[in-house]
Amino acid sequence: MGRFLLVFRLVWSDVRRHPGQAAMLLLSLSVATGMLALGGSLGGATEALYRHTRAVTAGPDVVAVSPDNSAATARTQDALTSDPAVTAHSGPYLQYYSKLKAKGSTSHVVVTAADAEPGAVDHPLVTSGTWVRSGGVVVERGFANALGVRVGDRITVAGRSLPVIGTAVSAATTVYPFAQLTGPDGGPSDYSGLVWMTKQDTKPLAAKHLSVSSLLYLKLRDPDATQAFVSAHRGPTVYANFQSWQFMIGQDATIIEGSQPILVIGSWLLSFLAIAGVATLAAGRAAKQTRRVGLLKAVGATPGLIGAVLLTEYVTLALLADALGLTAARFTQPAVVNPTASLLTTTAGPSTGTIILTTVVALAVAILTTLGPTMRALRTETVAALSDTARQPDHRSRLTRVSAMLPVPVLLGLRLIARRPGRAFLQACSITATVITITALLIIFVQRQVSYGIDSPHLGNLKDAQSRHMIVVVAAALVVLAGVNTLTTTWTTALEARHTMAVARTLGATPGQVTAGLSAAQLLPTVPGALVGIPLGIAFVWPFSAAGTVYPPAWWLFSAALATVVITAALTALPARIAARRSVAQTLSAEIT
Amino acid sequence: MNQFQAVLQARDLLRTHGRGESLVHAVDGVDLDVPAGQMLAVMGPSGCGKSTLLHLLGGLERPSDGEVWLDGRRIDDLSERALAQLRRRSVGFVFQAFHLVEELSAAENVELPVLLAGRSLRTARRRADELLAQVGLDDRARHLPWQLSGGQRQRVAIARAMANEPLVLLADEPTGNLDTAATLDVLRLFEDLRAAGQTLVIVTHDERVAATADRLVSMRDGRLVDDTWMADRRQPVDGVHGWEG
Amino acid sequence: MQDVVLAMLAKEPSHGYHLREWLRRALGPLGESMNAGQIYVTLARLERAGLVVREQTEGPPDRKVYALTPAGQQRVTTWLTEVSWPKQDLAELHLKLAAARAARLADPVELVAAHRRELLRRLRQAQRALLAEPEGSVAGLLLEGVALRLQADLRWLRACEQFWSRVENKAEDE
Repeated sequence: MGRFLLVFRLVWSDVRRHPGQAAMLLLSLSVATGMLALGGSLGGATEALYRHTRAVTAGPDVVAVSPDNSAATARTQDALTSDPAVTAHSGPYLQYYSKLKAKGSTSHVVVTAADAEPGAVDHPLVTSGTWVRSGGVVVERGFANALGVRVGDRITVAGRSLPVIGTAVSAATTVYPFAQLTGPDGGPSDYSGLVWMTKQDTKPLAAKHLSVSSLLYLKLRDPDATQAFVSAHRGPTVYANFQSWQFMIGQDATIIEGSQPILVIGSWLLSFLAIAGVATLAAGRAAKQTRRVGLLKAVGATPGLIGAVLLTEYVTLALLADALGLTAARFTQPAVVNPTASLLTTTAGPSTGTIILTTVVALAVAILTTLGPTMRALRTETVAALSDTARQPDHRSRLTRVSAMLPVPVLLGLRLIARRPGRAFLQACSITATVITITALLIIFVQRQVSYGIDSPHLGNLKDAQSRHMIVVVAAALVVLAGVNTLTTTWTTALEARHTMAVARTLGATPGQVTAGLSAAQLLPTVPGALVGIPLGIAFVWPFSAAGTVYPPAWWLFSAALATVVITAALTALPARIAARRSVAQTLSAEIT
Repeated sequence: MNQFQAVLQARDLLRTHGRGESLVHAVDGVDLDVPAGQMLAVMGPSGCGKSTLLHLLGGLERPSDGEVWLDGRRIDDLSERALAQLRRRSVGFVFQAFHLVEELSAAENVELPVLLAGRSLRTARRRADELLAQVGLDDRARHLPWQLSGGQRQRVAIARAMANEPLVLLADEPTGNLDTAATLDVLRLFEDLRAAGQTLVIVTHDERVAATADRLVSMRDGRLVDDTWMADRRQPVDGVHGWEG
Repeated sequence: MQDVVLAMLAKEPSHGYHLREWLRRALGPLGESMNAGQIYVTLARLERAGLVVREQTEGPPDRKVYALTPAGQQRVTTWLTEVSWPKQDLAELHLKLAAARAARLADPVELVAAHRRELLRRLRQAQRALLAEPEGSVAGLLLEGVALRLQADLRWLRACEQFWSRVENKAEDE
């Protein structure tokens, strides 16, 4: 019991003494788990939204799309509605392929002739204004958002200006811009939005001989048996394409399919950065605490206690960060999973699987960061015992040997790296992670964007925009964290190298040389780290890139890598400079006690 | 250079730490002239400011007031960079805690100041071999500090301090962590240096170390309270009485 | 001195010359002041006391070989087993300082300083001699003892100085 109390007290005093470290761990891990939770929940998110929308709007199980309103279509539709598997139906509704102008943008549009009173299947949910009435248009909500139109605005449909009287959401169609269930005349489909008008108002469209299709909404006895139903109605006499609700979920999900890998890979990279940064801090701290070990021993504690304290503290912080990340993910999820607003938003939290995953990751980060220092603390006695025995006297690393031929600051830097190769590796990996993300960002941004509208720059590409937003957020988080990591690593290295640097100062090293040495210790691993990041970044994007992916010119990528190195240099100079300014006499006399 | 010309001078040297209530005069108005080739010992109880005085003399700390002159050049108002360059060539430090760079071998420790002074690696290697032979550690050149005994480490530190043939060698409790035999080794080294005309300032609380010096100043509360120049006549050793009986 | 000479003869009979050389080596710089004839004076005394005998009566004094008598043997055994430790008489200086202060004859701090300078001088000689000795010499061991004693005395003088200057300061304050 007393042991637990001691650990708890030490943890508490630790957190109070190093609030910055605790905050850094909390922040970086929150962001990482939040992203992971978000990325993890994206998989089923669209389905959840669609199911919700379908339940609210009495969505159809199958939509039968016939390419025209011929007699053959009518026969097919009769056959479908008389199938005993069908319990209810609505329609057929005619859908005209036309163009729409609003707020200076032009877009493909499908105009559905709707009943003033919806039938048994598909009750579109009016989200603003009213449902269709004569002389007014209801715009599908995702489409309205993209166009920027609201109730009261006027839009031009097939050359005829009409007021928008409402916006609505329906599960009988796929989300904007996939409103065309099949293309005009059964051909390939265009990016398109959806509007509803009264049958009366669509008469002028019919007169214009626009392409038309006929939609029949079917409710099945067994909603899960859509595949069997569709198979049963296949053949040369059947004059229709079928869209099951399951198919629509798949189609709807494509709008966010780019975000998931970005978020998931981004969260892995962030977790790694969190490990790299916090491990460095923990190591620096453990080194400081080794001096306290002797003191603790007097009260019956072992060096293992240091590890226990670190572990307890980090596990607690990691769990807290996990909770914060999951909460943040829950609140940001609606904005991420429903970029088109074509579906109704639900407040489904992260799934159990996601919670388990993020918790495991958070705990892994906590354990991985404390593993090194803990092991070292546990080994301290053994090492001390070993150091008494004579060992191979010719212990002189090649790195140290080579470094003697370099300018003095680089020499100091290299010898610092030789002292902690693991940290140099982590620093290199941090930079690699950052450059990977920046490379991915550049690749995503140079891709040609296919606008959803027709020569209408305002009607952007929601899917690409979503990916861009995500990569920008991930890259920003990574860059900030990598920057903080660089600062803390330099600072920790400076603290640990304080004695060596102070000795170098007594031997006549200038503050400038010491600063340069500390900077060099960080910079040297940064260069290979940045260079490796470029091909790795391309490799990360590769599996998700379609044919015809455009790559940015090589000099862009190298400039980005170079910029990373330069920024790292600037970041390392600051703490190194502060450390170099310390009084040599104080540092040396502090070492004695 | 004249035998009695001061190579190191302190004029009304003042060094305070802290401020207000907790203001401490670590060094409080010290005047001191160290002639070239002299071996000077500074004694005093711990906390009397003797280490601070040594740091001030070597340009490791800056005085709050007063002047420090090294070889006719005022050094207390030099820039940090100029001070570093001065330490490189003109001052050698030896500390109680040895302060070797733990990850460098004995030879590499000695090479370090030579490299810092901008000489070639070959020169540095040769100088290190030479100095380590002088301190009797040529067979330990490749050892890391933890593989050496305290006395050996201090001898490496002295070799390192001498690497650039400094004008003055400043030693802060050089034997404080050593046993009697190792202390004698270090004192023998100092004696050799003194014989070669090296100016030495040694801060110590060990009377036996102080007694080997040419001159002994005592410090108390930041001030010099006693200054004894010891004659160096060859005399029979007193101390064993009545053995004739 | 007598006991030392007896002890050296316990192993085997020896010339006075050899005895003198051995003593010089063991004492090192401390033996420099030793009179050359002193050893023979001592041997003569021992012979008179019946503790040693001359084995060869011819030749110059240098060539004389001395050996222990049973009585001499007895004396050596007694000497080796007896524990004696020279007393350092600090009381005299201590009382001198106290008296000087009480009678206002002199400043005890000044007296201490004078003693300190003298002891430092002696310590310096001892240290110098010690440093000149090669490593592992017997004489070095003796010098080490001398230096350690002087160091202890100097530390005591430091304590005296602190004590008496405090007393002095107090007196001024009153």
